[in-house]
Amino acid sequence: MAQDAWWAVARSEEVTSAKPINVDIGDQPVVLWRDQHGAAHALEDRCPHRRAPLSLGCVLGNGMIQCGYHGWTFDGETGHLKNIPNLKSDAKFPPIYRATPFGVAESAGFVRVCLNAKATAPVATNENLPLSGTVNVALDHDQYIAALFDDPALVLAMRGVRFTPYLTTELIVEQGLLVMERSCQWAGPHWPAPFSSDFPISLRIATDPLTGESELSLRDDMLRPVLTARIAPVPAARGVTQVRWRARLAPQRSGLMARAMGTGTPFTLRSAIDGAALRVLKPSASIHAAALRAELTARAQQSSAA
Amino acid sequence: MLDVTHPSSSDDHGDAIPSDPREFAAKVNAWVPHDIVLKDAWFPLAHSFAVTAKPVRRAVYSQPYFLWREHGVALASEFHPAAGLIGAKSTFSDAAGRYPVIEKYGYVWGWFGNPANAAPEHVPSLPYLPEEGGLPLHMLGTVRFDCTAPLSLENLIDLTHADFLHADVVGDEIMDKETVEVFHDSETITMVRTCVNKSVAPIMKWFGGVKSDVQQVRQVIRIYLRSHAAIAYGRFSPGDNVQLFHPCVPETRDRTRLDYAMNTTNVKKTNLFRYLMPKASYKVSRQDSTMTSPQSPRYMHPEKRKDLHSPLDEAGQKYRVLMLALAERQARGDYAYRDNVSADCSDIIGYQKP
Repeated sequence: MAQDAWWAVARSEEVTSAKPINVDIGDQPVVLWRDQHGAAHALEDRCPHRRAPLSLGCVLGNGMIQCGYHGWTFDGETGHLKNIPNLKSDAKFPPIYRATPFGVAESAGFVRVCLNAKATAPVATNENLPLSGTVNVALDHDQYIAALFDDPALVLAMRGVRFTPYLTTELIVEQGLLVMERSCQWAGPHWPAPFSSDFPISLRIATDPLTGESELSLRDDMLRPVLTARIAPVPAARGVTQVRWRARLAPQRSGLMARAMGTGTPFTLRSAIDGAALRVLKPSASIHAAALRAELTARAQQSSAA
Repeated sequence: MLDVTHPSSSDDHGDAIPSDPREFAAKVNAWVPHDIVLKDAWFPLAHSFAVTAKPVRRAVYSQPYFLWREHGVALASEFHPAAGLIGAKSTFSDAAGRYPVIEKYGYVWGWFGNPANAAPEHVPSLPYLPEEGGLPLHMLGTVRFDCTAPLSLENLIDLTHADFLHADVVGDEIMDKETVEVFHDSETITMVRTCVNKSVAPIMKWFGGVKSDVQQVRQVIRIYLRSHAAIAYGRFSPGDNVQLFHPCVPETRDRTRLDYAMNTTNVKKTNLFRYLMPKASYKVSRQDSTMTSPQSPRYMHPEKRKDLHSPLDEAGQKYRVLMLALAERQARGDYAYRDNVSADCSDIIGYQKP
């Protein structure tokens, strides 16, 4: 697990001061909560006293988290132990008495966590994506992203949109992201994709090579936005991938099918993957992704060495 | 600041608790409870009422125990009596596949270990349970913990957890003063917790007729290490004494069966507490399981990271070290009992016989 990666482990509305929540980054359990000022905090979800999950505890009025087992109370910023209520002592605890803290950054409706508490926070954006959801998929993180690249229909659905196997741009690197664009059709009677001369819409996918966090842009043939979504797959325990997403439908959409996206649910992520279809899915873009990731890693190593 | 200090003591064979704090800490932090399988011990496998002519199946560390009665006498076998001796037999039973059995305190106890070493004097002393059994059924029950048995007992012996996990049953951490004393020998550990002006246990307030806002509390946990069986004895003033037998039978290394007995015959028959307190085990055990279940896999393998401790953890820490000492001794082939577990412990736990 890359120590400096920022993982979008929660949607902002999932993190409250009412109750801590548990998320995973790989096999690393993380507890998240907000303090009384609304700031999000992340610690290892394990009390250093008796290894109980801190997420089973509570958030105190002073914003600290209290283990539900023996009441050990921790500061969210540093992870330092601040109180053992039954000791009834004001004595300070040695620095070693702390839960492991993680870096936290919040922007555009996502709470991101970095396992390296000292890592530089990513640049905040004020993107406003009002639709949102979370799914747990029984497919590991790498395979999930490979499926997204090779056939998005296996992992997501856009109302009235059919994804074709034809790419207008194969995977390339743009500003450190893996970018591809796929031709799409509207659902309904029309020539099958292999016999179509032109396609009315396309889906651009721009993916962080490390985390797989992706921005999805559905555009019409005038390159006007129809729908924008951000999906954040995070490797969780037992090979599950937790995926948070946010999306927004463009307010002005031309064409009947584009306008019809506004009725019902325009965007969903699938919580179950069709195993039979996945098994026979031929890898294409995902093969290039592996090569491009290796190239990006080598470039990053060269620049850090310089 | 947070280290536990302990008076050095010794018996003929030396105290299992090292007097060197560093050695003590090293043992405390070498705690991998799943690796501890103690032998030559009686386990309370079933309430007496549960053993009839029809065999019932129990297990200790996956070792099968079939229990039934013939002419009223409880028997235990490695094999179902209808099947007879089939397959390979372990060394835990005799040539006929039978285990040593004793019936006492309302339980059928089975011996886990070398049958030749089974002796009645190794049955733990349980002063407030009638030796001949016979408690009403509403004072008996079965609960399970999704964790290894030693974690369940470590949970029990550190009673500060009750102030947080069971506050809605036994009251929270609000009190004027708390002291914890710990006593041990090679086979037992006893923790005495005294609380001054502790907030009243809600179950006593709602159903026990206690009107006061605070109570004086003296709680005793005594663990018989090999049998994984504990006494939990509480004196509450005002309020009624709580007399719980809390045996943690390790059915496997990661699952625990608890056939409990909560003797509330000391409570007036007109007091609801007499009937409800034994049933509180169903709620309390699930509350415990919310913590001990996720704890258990985190203690399954050795870890470089050490647990952190507070002075309130003295009993739990010593419990770890004593269990390890017994395991180490048994690994060397020494299964002898160096202390008598069946001697009446009324004085030790402060139990006043009626």
